[in-house]
Amino acid sequence: MAISLLALVGASVPAFAEWKALVADESVNVAGKLLVATPEAGWNRSSARPSDHGERWTRDGLALNELTFFAAIPDGGTLYHSPYGATQKLPKFRSNMLATEIVELFESSNRILLNSSVFSVDAIEPAKLGTHEGVRFAYSYAAQDEGLTRKGEGVAAIVEGKLYLVNFIAPEIHYFDRDIEEIRQLVATLQLRPPEPSQP
Amino acid sequence: MKRLRHNLTVAALVVAAPIAAQPLELLPTSAGYQPKDAVEQGLWLEMDEAEQQMRASKFLIDDPELNAYVKGVLCRAVGTDKCGAARIYLMRTPQFNAAMAPNGMMLVWSGLLLRARNEAELAAVLGHEFVHFEQQHSLKSFRDIKAKSDAITWLGFVPGGMLAQIGLMGSVFRFNREMEKQADMAALDYLSASGYDPMAPSKIWEQLLGEMDVQAKANKSGAAAQEASDFFSSHPNTRDRMEYLRAAARTKAPSSDDGSERYRVAIARWWPRLIDDQVKLNDFAATEFLLNGLARGNWTADLLYARGELYRARGKEGDLAKAEGFYRQSVSKDPALAESWRSLGMLLLRQGKSSEGRKMLRRYLDIAPAAGDRPMIEAMAREPQK
Repeated sequence: MAISLLALVGASVPAFAEWKALVADESVNVAGKLLVATPEAGWNRSSARPSDHGERWTRDGLALNELTFFAAIPDGGTLYHSPYGATQKLPKFRSNMLATEIVELFESSNRILLNSSVFSVDAIEPAKLGTHEGVRFAYSYAAQDEGLTRKGEGVAAIVEGKLYLVNFIAPEIHYFDRDIEEIRQLVATLQLRPPEPSQP
Repeated sequence: MKRLRHNLTVAALVVAAPIAAQPLELLPTSAGYQPKDAVEQGLWLEMDEAEQQMRASKFLIDDPELNAYVKGVLCRAVGTDKCGAARIYLMRTPQFNAAMAPNGMMLVWSGLLLRARNEAELAAVLGHEFVHFEQQHSLKSFRDIKAKSDAITWLGFVPGGMLAQIGLMGSVFRFNREMEKQADMAALDYLSASGYDPMAPSKIWEQLLGEMDVQAKANKSGAAAQEASDFFSSHPNTRDRMEYLRAAARTKAPSSDDGSERYRVAIARWWPRLIDDQVKLNDFAATEFLLNGLARGNWTADLLYARGELYRARGKEGDLAKAEGFYRQSVSKDPALAESWRSLGMLLLRQGKSSEGRKMLRRYLDIAPAAGDRPMIEAMAREPQK
């Protein structure tokens, strides 16, 4: 049993990711062109995606900072790919969820993937994702096999029934505080491009 | 009982006259025990290192009162002369498990604290682990493996993580059948000698097997079915195990002391977090079974709240209406339970009963004015501008 759990944790970090540097201060399409972000210097985009609707960036390596974008997750979709061999199913997004329920969805999904119950949501407040009304949440957690506390901050909104979410994670020591203001700025200037409603 | 008395005599001898007792086998639970040969020394070294890491783990529950309580239960079960040899580490991990290293490090997962319904059931598992330690089961298993393969390779395989270490240690989910039976029977002797209800071991196993059964049936995916079948194959004749535990318990002096009230008080502060950890696993069938087992017909406000959370999170047809009922019962039993008001309010909002929902959210904020989600809940509770 111990071995399979370990494999499950390992599976959340893709082994074959390739990284591509992003050009500073230039607009870049994110997560299937549904978001447009303008990063500062030093960010890299991973070829390994957290899900079909997501995209992952880092500046110094995932252990030190991780920025994930999720765009247009439909009703019934999950935040992440389920790792191979996982016995627990990830909770599903519902279009009619309340702001606080998005946070619950995020928390439960991450607890399952990280195999960690040391995860606490510390604050939830109204916020904007681009120009859309949404929710900001701050949390902290520990992953298995690490003697480290990480902090995270996410901003999410439901637009035309689909979930958009940006999430930043970094170690509590130094790295989170170093970058969080920059991340908030990036989130504030993010443009959402929800897909056109399909014609009947 | 005869066998137990024999065991106690040996233990007393060892403690009273350690030098004279030297020709006898010193048990690892005795004061002054040292590993005997290179294999055992190596194993202890590994385990001491693992224990160092464990002390720094973010998963440790470092609540001194709770730790003292669990240690106290072990001491009552196996005797204060021996329990000092074990060092208990409570880990915030929602699954049921406990594990014992050959150097005396015992890991107890918080999922065990959630599942035990009384002190006697906790004592049964702690006693079982302690016997694995006392009878050196993991050392024997290690020697077996070493005889069959290259032990250096085997030790090298352990990357040092907590989960892997548990794989290396004896746990309730490992060991061969003979060792399990030894641990079961000796733990029952301990339990009975210390005045606990001797039926407790068979009861907690019954509860656990029921839960795993429900979980296996609910999970249709290949991987889950495989895991379930792995579990049952390493536990041949679980029915048989329950039977022998129950039959052996009947030969013991009956006791109604299961310490359920002491237990309830001791874990009360942690209980909401433990059940929250379980609900957030998104494992509906097992959690529903567990909640029913904990309630046994007596649904407290806390249990009703947890059940509401479970149904609200699943959100299938009819679930929200059920959840609403559970929250309403919960707040009527304990109007001070802030979380029930919060969840009830959210549920009503989601169902379009906005005016009542906002009222419930305001009740939540009245009871928990310093809540971290106050800004968001306030915004949700605000009456829309006309």
